[in-house]
Amino acid sequence: MNEFLQQFVIESREIADAASDGLLALEHSPRDAERLDEVFRAFHTLKGGAAIVEFPVMESAMHAAEEVLTEAREGRQPLTSAHIGQCLSHLDRVSAWLDSIERSGELPRDGGKPPDQLIVQAGELPAAPWVADIVKTQGAVAARALNAVRLVPATDSLYHGEDPLARMTSLPGLLALELSAREPWAAPDTLDPFRCNLILTALSAAAAAQLHVHLQGHSGDCEVVAVTTGGVSDAGPLPTLVLTVIEAQQALLGAGSPQSFSGRVGSAGAVAANALRSCGLAQPSEQISRATEQSLLALSIQPLSEALALLLTEEPPAEMAAAPDHGRAPELGARTFRVDAEQVDVLVRLAGELTVVNNAIGHLAKLARAGDPSLADLLKDRHGTLEHLVDELRRSVLRMRVRPLRTVLQRFPRLVREMSANLGKSVDLVIEGDQTEADKTIVEMLFEPLLHLVRNAIDHGVESASERIAAGKTPAACLRIAAQRRADQVLIEVSDDGAGIDVSRVRAVAVTRGLIAQEQVLTLTEPEALDLIFAPGFSTAARVTEISGRGVGMDAVRRAVEKAGGHVSVASAAGLGTAVKLSLPFSVMMTHVMTVEAGGQMFGLPLEAIIETTRVPQAAISRVGAAPVVVLRNRALPVIDLASALGAEPSADDEGATLVVATANGECGAFQVDRIVERLDLILKPLEGLLTGTPGIMGTTLLGDGRVLLVLDIAEMLQ
Amino acid sequence: MTVRVTAAGCIELIGTCPSADAEALLQHLFADPAATVDWRECRGAHTAVVQVLMAVKPKLLGPPANAGLRDWVAPAITFS
Repeated sequence: MNEFLQQFVIESREIADAASDGLLALEHSPRDAERLDEVFRAFHTLKGGAAIVEFPVMESAMHAAEEVLTEAREGRQPLTSAHIGQCLSHLDRVSAWLDSIERSGELPRDGGKPPDQLIVQAGELPAAPWVADIVKTQGAVAARALNAVRLVPATDSLYHGEDPLARMTSLPGLLALELSAREPWAAPDTLDPFRCNLILTALSAAAAAQLHVHLQGHSGDCEVVAVTTGGVSDAGPLPTLVLTVIEAQQALLGAGSPQSFSGRVGSAGAVAANALRSCGLAQPSEQISRATEQSLLALSIQPLSEALALLLTEEPPAEMAAAPDHGRAPELGARTFRVDAEQVDVLVRLAGELTVVNNAIGHLAKLARAGDPSLADLLKDRHGTLEHLVDELRRSVLRMRVRPLRTVLQRFPRLVREMSANLGKSVDLVIEGDQTEADKTIVEMLFEPLLHLVRNAIDHGVESASERIAAGKTPAACLRIAAQRRADQVLIEVSDDGAGIDVSRVRAVAVTRGLIAQEQVLTLTEPEALDLIFAPGFSTAARVTEISGRGVGMDAVRRAVEKAGGHVSVASAAGLGTAVKLSLPFSVMMTHVMTVEAGGQMFGLPLEAIIETTRVPQAAISRVGAAPVVVLRNRALPVIDLASALGAEPSADDEGATLVVATANGECGAFQVDRIVERLDLILKPLEGLLTGTPGIMGTTLLGDGRVLLVLDIAEMLQ
Repeated sequence: MTVRVTAAGCIELIGTCPSADAEALLQHLFADPAATVDWRECRGAHTAVVQVLMAVKPKLLGPPANAGLRDWVAPAITFS
């Protein structure tokens, strides 16, 4: 991508974010003239930018939004929620275009063509039902349409000399026009031909701006919506390597015994999803993950097998590219971000000092060859300097990666607006502490869990307006996302003032789903019972809705948060609401580990999970059934022989066993190892490519001697 | 006058029918609900005229001379 375009993307993103914030604020105070000017200027700047990089489609989209805002600015028309929705959907398109530019390094393929030849790429916007209707009835014609128009003239418009039909038949780029009656027609004796009872819908190949100009001044409601024609997709055939991987998974699925079912489905799904993700196909990858879950739930390979088969057919299926998905987590990992010049200066200085130390070490190597006796002291001295510099470098790089949570939280007003409108509920979102900072990785991983929590709150937590009034509450529910920094932790709370969680129902559901035994469930305290909602396979929703019924439960939230080294808990009071608390580390860069040797290989165990290390005689390890158990401090702990658990030769130490006692998620266990080596502070690399999501492994790092150290995920090992 | 009734009782729409024709057309159709409307010579019709056709749904003799009427309005009268 050339620098010019790069700058355009960075700036447009910032301006579009600001415009989106402004629009949402306008929804609450539509008369705020200053805000309106601000938003107008934002669109104007976006339009200017598009003109400079020669991107006419974006230019005309921005112009259309400008037109709508101009009407309001000049007081000709009040700014309605529908107008704001229109402007927001233009911003959505901008964001999709910018993503595409970032991916491909050039303007979208259709960007250079005049707008009337453009078919808007699929999957950008959720279309209104009337748009879907006309697109469906018009079939092939719709493929050429750029916009759909709907005019519902005021009933008295004909008395005022208007001719809506003439206005619509002369619409620029008209491809199709449909007339329908708003209400059933009156009988001829009572019919008033001048009382307008029509709804006129049309498809047009003209740009929205032109259509707005044409329809300007007509009475009644008029909407212009960009058409997304489901059949068009920019996803080409899959790369051969990925195809091969998927084919292999398909074959794997069909083979094997029924006993290995879940393992087979799980790994085939994970490998296919990772392969797709590794070449940037996030959506198909997600689709496969979903199909995997369906397969596991239904105990049938069919859903996954069908999803894989779809991928293997040459054309990617339409719904794969087209399904408009509100909550779909968009690619968040911004590839560029702005950095304070001062921070760069610090890095430059550090680079200089490191070069000096590097040269000094070169000199030491020469001394070593000459067998200089003062070498050890000199080495120690230089190592000290180096350590100090590396530490400083690490801290300033970390500092650079820090981002405010705002970058994630600012997306929620918009999403909450859409979700609550879809469910017919009224929800006020309050965001607190969005200036709280955290490492970029943490900020980026937060979106999905938060989205899920917000969806759950709106769908299941918040009651309908009538139920709320009956319960003596305000008709609009309050949903709060509050963030704060506490020492090395970032705390985020998502709370609502809805109906709360029915604990007895949670107990009942957990038993019916087979997550816990009947007699055991009654011994749980209330908080413990509530915690069951995080168990895999739990979902209290009696009905599956589009909003929250996507087969991902609260267990996905817990998994994501714990993967980032955090914790999640829930509190709820019947009738008063629910609060979910996430606590996450400020940074995920440094991990403290204890390295151990087992089966001739080195492994890292996260230090935070380790309670103690001890050595016991072999006789102290007894067998309960097939499982080895050791009693330590009056507590029976399962013993996991690390070597055999990881598929290596088990240790053959007849005298005694070295145990590392560790805990995670309330589970406790003793890992039997050959030797405890040392303590290390390291920067963990997450697993990449085909290994992504391998259970039991948190990440890897390179050891001083060049070997790879696998750092184990204690929680998964103990399961 | 762009709306007229032939000797055979057929209602003809001729040329471009302005809004005032709506009332006349409705009167004719009210008088004879079974009458056929011949709009082969019709080159345009005001929204009010089209509303009468859509509400009463008379038997039509076409196609009309105007492509817009033929393509967009005729289906709305016949199928709605």
